Amino acid sequence: MQVYEVFRREREGGPMQHAGNLLAPDPELARHYAREFYARRQESVRLWIVPRSAIIDLDDPDLLQPPFDRSFKKPAGYSTGIKAKLATARARAGTGKDDE
Amino acid sequence: MSAQVLEAPVRGALTGLLLAMADDEFVLGYWDSEWTGIAPVLEEDVAFASLAQDEIGHAQALYQLLADLEGGDPDELAYGRAPEGYRHARLLDHPRTDWAFSVARRFLYDTADAARLDALAASAYQPLAGVVAKMRREEAYHLLHMHAWVERLATGGQEPRARLVAAMERLWPDALCVLDGIEGDELLAEAGVLAEPMAAIRTRWLAGLAPELARLGLPGPPAARAGACRGPGRSDDFRWLWEQFTMVRRSDPEAVW
Repeated sequence: MQVYEVFRREREGGPMQHAGNLLAPDPELARHYAREFYARRQESVRLWIVPRSAIIDLDDPDLLQPPFDRSFKKPAGYSTGIKAKLATARARAGTGKDDE
Repeated sequence: MSAQVLEAPVRGALTGLLLAMADDEFVLGYWDSEWTGIAPVLEEDVAFASLAQDEIGHAQALYQLLADLEGGDPDELAYGRAPEGYRHARLLDHPRTDWAFSVARRFLYDTADAARLDALAASAYQPLAGVVAKMRREEAYHLLHMHAWVERLATGGQEPRARLVAAMERLWPDALCVLDGIEGDELLAEAGVLAEPMAAIRTRWLAGLAPELARLGLPGPPAARAGACRGPGRSDDFRWLWEQFTMVRRSDPEAVW
C-alpha cells in the first residue's frame, strides 16, 4: 500500500487545493478511492492524485526562515510615498482596490 | 413514446421490466451495504458503500417511473411488499458471504446490467431512456471498479483466486437470471422499448465477457439455468435481509420523514 496525496478543484477556475490523503495498492485503485473520498458528493470538478513519494519536501529553516531581518523584502517595507504613488497608478488603471 | 400511447400488453410487460430492474438494484444495494464497516480496507469500505448507495438511488428512480406509470407511492413499492412480492433475480437471493463472493456477484450483476442498460439507452419509452442515460454514467465507474477487483483477486495469489473461482462457480447459474424472467420481453422489443429480447441481450453480455474470463482463467457460464428466475419462492437469506430493510418502516408505516 502506498500513500497518495489528493488535491481538488471545487469549481472551474478555482485553485487546486490539498484535500487529504488515502492508502491504495496501485494508481488505478488510488483513482477510484480519490473519487470516493473527495468527489462522491459532487464537491469536485478535478482531482490530482499524487504519490506522496513524488512530493519534494522542503522544511530547511536556513532556506525558509533566514535569521536576518528581511522586512525590506516585504511590500510593507516600501515608503508611504511609493505606496501612495502605486495607489494612484492603480486607480488610473482602474484595477480597483489595493491588493497588497 | 409516453405512457398514454402504450398498448395494454406492452404496458404490462414494461411494468414487469421496471419492477424487476428496480428490485435488482434495490436488493443488491442492501446486500452490499452489509460491508459497511467491515470491508477489507477503509478506502474500499467507503467505495463499496458508495456503490451500494448508487444502486439504491437507481432503484428510487425506477420505482418512481413505476409509480408514474401505474400510480402508487415509490416508498410503498420499495418497502411495502411481502418478501414473495419482490421480483429481483435469484442471483440476489444469496447473502453477502465473503469478500470474493460479493465481488464476484457484483461483477456478474454489473456486467449483465450494463448489457441491459445498453438495450434501453434508445428506448422508445422516453422516461425510461432518460433514467437509463443517468444510470449508465454511474455504472461506468462501477464497472471499472469491479473489473479492477476481479483482476486483482484472480491474479492475487492462491487463496483469493480459489475463493473467487468457487464464488463464480456457485453464482453463474443464478447470474443468468439477471437477463431472464421478464414476461413479454419480445413484445417490448417489437415496440422499441427494448432494443432486443432478453435472450439476445444475454448472448451479447456473455460474448463480451468471454475474453476477460478466458484471459484470467475464470469459470464461464453453464449451458443452462434451472428453476424460476424471479421468485415468488425466496431464500431464507433474502427473508432475513427483508426483515432488516423493512424494519424501520414496519415499526411505524405512517411516519412522515
